[in-house]
Amino acid sequence: MGARGAPSRRRQAGRRPRYLPTGSFPFLLLLLLLCIQLGGGQKKKENLLAEKVEQLMEWSSRRSIFRMNGDKFRKFIKTPPRNYSMIVMFTALQPQRQCSVCRQANEEYQILANSWRYSSAFCNKLFFSMVDYDEGTDVFQQLNMNSAPTFMHFPPKGRPKRADTFDLQRIGFAAEQLAKWIADRTDVHIRVFRPPNYSGTIALALLVSLVGGLLYLRRNNLEFIYNKTGWAMVSLCIVFAMTSGQMWNHIRGPPYAHKNPHNGQVSYIHGSSQAQFVAESHIILLLNAAITMGMVLLNEAATSKGDVGKRRIICLVGLGLVVFFFSFLLSIFRSKYHGYPYSTLLFTIFFYTVHDHFLIK
Amino acid sequence: MITAGLIHWILNTLNITVHIRDVCVFLAPTFSGLTSISTFLLTRELWNQGAGLLAACFIAIVPGYISRSVAGSFDNEGIAIFALQFTYYLWVKSVKTGSVFWTMCCCLSYFYMVSAWGGYVFIINLIPLHVFVLLLMQRYSKRVYIAYSTFYIVGLILSMQIPFVGFQPIRTSEHMAAAGVFALLQAYAFLQYLRDRLTKQEFQTLFFLGVSLAAGAVFLSVIYLTYTGYIAPWSGRFYSLWDTGYAKIHIPIIASVSEHQPTTWVSFFFDLHILVCTFPAGLWFCIKNINDERVFVALYAISAVYFAGVMVRLMLTLTPVVCMLSAIAFSNVFEHYLGDDMKRENPPVEDSSDEDDKRNPGNLYDKAGKVRKHVTEQEKTEEGLGPNIKSIVTMLMLMLLMMFAVHCTWVTSNAYSSPSVVLASYNHDGTRNILDDFREAYFWLRQNTDEHARVMSWWDYGYQIAGMANRTTLVDNNTWNNSHIALVGKAMSSNETAAYKIMRSLDVDYVLVIFGGVIGYSGDDINKFLWMVRIAEGEHPKDIRESDYFTPQGEFRVDKAGSPTLLNCLMYKMSYYRFGEMQLDFRTPPGFDRTRNAEIGNKDIKFKHLEEAFTSEHWLVRIYKVKAPDNRETLDHKPRVTNIFPKQKYLSKKTAKRKRGYIKNKLVFKKGKKMSKKTV
Repeated sequence: MGARGAPSRRRQAGRRPRYLPTGSFPFLLLLLLLCIQLGGGQKKKENLLAEKVEQLMEWSSRRSIFRMNGDKFRKFIKTPPRNYSMIVMFTALQPQRQCSVCRQANEEYQILANSWRYSSAFCNKLFFSMVDYDEGTDVFQQLNMNSAPTFMHFPPKGRPKRADTFDLQRIGFAAEQLAKWIADRTDVHIRVFRPPNYSGTIALALLVSLVGGLLYLRRNNLEFIYNKTGWAMVSLCIVFAMTSGQMWNHIRGPPYAHKNPHNGQVSYIHGSSQAQFVAESHIILLLNAAITMGMVLLNEAATSKGDVGKRRIICLVGLGLVVFFFSFLLSIFRSKYHGYPYSTLLFTIFFYTVHDHFLIK
Repeated sequence: MITAGLIHWILNTLNITVHIRDVCVFLAPTFSGLTSISTFLLTRELWNQGAGLLAACFIAIVPGYISRSVAGSFDNEGIAIFALQFTYYLWVKSVKTGSVFWTMCCCLSYFYMVSAWGGYVFIINLIPLHVFVLLLMQRYSKRVYIAYSTFYIVGLILSMQIPFVGFQPIRTSEHMAAAGVFALLQAYAFLQYLRDRLTKQEFQTLFFLGVSLAAGAVFLSVIYLTYTGYIAPWSGRFYSLWDTGYAKIHIPIIASVSEHQPTTWVSFFFDLHILVCTFPAGLWFCIKNINDERVFVALYAISAVYFAGVMVRLMLTLTPVVCMLSAIAFSNVFEHYLGDDMKRENPPVEDSSDEDDKRNPGNLYDKAGKVRKHVTEQEKTEEGLGPNIKSIVTMLMLMLLMMFAVHCTWVTSNAYSSPSVVLASYNHDGTRNILDDFREAYFWLRQNTDEHARVMSWWDYGYQIAGMANRTTLVDNNTWNNSHIALVGKAMSSNETAAYKIMRSLDVDYVLVIFGGVIGYSGDDINKFLWMVRIAEGEHPKDIRESDYFTPQGEFRVDKAGSPTLLNCLMYKMSYYRFGEMQLDFRTPPGFDRTRNAEIGNKDIKFKHLEEAFTSEHWLVRIYKVKAPDNRETLDHKPRVTNIFPKQKYLSKKTAKRKRGYIKNKLVFKKGKKMSKKTV
């Protein structure tokens, strides 16, 4: 019923101005009649509208986002007399739905709604609400919606258009982007005010105090700061992280691995040389570390003053690490960089065994 | 450039006649030779002669550096790496000796670096960092004090002589670390001086107070000066190094350059091959046997690897340090395994390991000649490793290095030595096709257009057009004015009518686009197009919106499903004009774009304000002429139709018989009755 109400009203409203200028008598009469009819309806609707706005204002004074179920959704959003914009987040926050994106999106949405709720420009033209899948399944069905979270804007007049659905896939759900989209759709500019993130500061302060405390407690024995192995480890970690492309992961945010939807095969290594998966960069990190360890072991075997047999074993292990993992690394590189002609001897054996299991073509 | 001029001048005064062009072409290889020499010197200072030699070999062939030093790449960076390495060598030397002479040499080298490349900021931050870490490690010495004080003051004054730098060293945040460390060093030295005068108890309180006060004062004053505007905050380019998400949001033009992308492990491996896996081992050895200059190389390695991870382009600064550290790792292995068994009989000479060296730093000076001592030290413990194992290890290591050499040759010949203006493609049988479209098109421009014609293209081709076609461009590779680039981007991404207005206002005569759809060239303008849109959106958010160029699913497609805004924008129309009539292959429909593997969505493209002027052989370059406005502007709407004209022509009713005419609608008088006065 609600859905049918909106177009009928639009038709009436649309007809009126077209008749006015022609203004010959019989039409005037009709208009008069219409006006009388409308006026009666208008009054009723105004009451209804005021009631609704009052209700919404009361809710929003309590909390910035109000939850809706099917009935409320139909009453406040679908039924026509409205002079407010409504932003609705369709989501599934119940823990059994296991929607981690929904939770993140919800946090951003909360930030946005709070920024609006406590801003000086707050008025009754824009409200934020949400529909949880488990509370309003019928709403989801009615809107033919099968993915969550979705943000939609319901304009004061008419039905939501295509651009009234927030393009989550492309823009992401950062509160700033949402605010931009809302400004675009409703001309209401919201300055997103993020509550300062104290967790980082607290963690830092905790770390500093911990380190400081440790230093203070062991002030008589500060030798461990001069422990070269520790420092060497730290710097090697940085180097490995960088050379395996963790910074690329950080900036581009690739998936952990790719699962082929057709045969369910998981590939850990990206086929192109322009991109990589997170899993892949971890593999490379381990390979690099193994090669480095091999080099260090080779050195260790030659310099340490231990049993000869033991050192021999260390030496061979080190050599094995270097050669084996380097050829492995080379094979991965070759599979990614098409047309690379070189390989090691070990590689040929490797390539055919490994290729079928790990790599995508 | 001054360098090239200088070399030319010197050669010519020596009566060796060389064309200036030849000097320019061979400048980069010459300087890469110098780089490998300075790398040798630096590594010799850090470790020993053998490692130095290996390092020089590595940097001579490593692809990461060859990419900048092939003959003909007349670029700042080739020179800059030499200056960088040489400055570092002189710095290490001056820290080791503490002599003002080496420091002055270092300053001169630094001056040269400043004049060559903006990357000098790396030096002016790394050297203070080195000094700062040395202070923290309580490795302060008179040598460091002399070296840094001299370097900072003289280097600062010299760098301010460069017009491009000017007063930046005392006005911008990038240089503030150096100033802060300078102040800190002075305070530290003063306290050291006081220590000799005061008792221990007094001194300790004073020391902590003094150091913390000095550090706090420096820090606060920098913050204060930044706020009050004396010191400019970080420029966007440097800021994007720290906050990696910054550039993408705020300065799309920086993020758009492919060299500014983050680095995948593949490009690390591609450019450095085995060195990338072994240089952590060298770093490990350096930190395990630390001394003043190894602190420096460790810091160099860590900072450079971070920068290289953030930007592909900064791989260049990483390459030398990777070469040095890998050389250290390899030479360490070779020292132990290549050693002769005969040497074992030699009596071990005095045992001076590196730990001893750092305790008595005065001994550090003649580090270079220490190779043999290392070896002999090993010999006595090398009882049983046996010649077999040794030779196996040596063989395999040499094989690895051989593979490295082969890899370098392959990469250099394939990726870095072909000119970017001429493309080559290979057939199945190995014969080579040369695609000379760029030169063809530029030559056409040079021959067939007016001398003062202005060409609009995306900025990547600005230099090429200016240099090879000798025509004026709107934007080129050195355009600093972002809004100007954005305006060109806007013209490319709006529809023809709007673009025509912009082009008229910019007074454009020709538009040039690169289109790779015919041969499958991926670096064309359609692939760069999203960046044009982004940059245009940054300046004109009302007119251009990135989301308009995507399908509702958020994809960028050129086929029928693509967004109508994209299918009608100027860049799309210019790229695909008449492409729909062309069938490249029997298996594909006409208008099939090989680069994007899609049949184009808008095959019926018509221009109103542009006309096709030239398309090169493989359609790689397309040039359009911007028409002058019509002399008499056609109405863009239908003329108003009114009904004052009669529907049909009036036909006379006269015939040959009836010649009399009659008056149409003739007034007819009716005779009325005369009104009687009585009735009134």
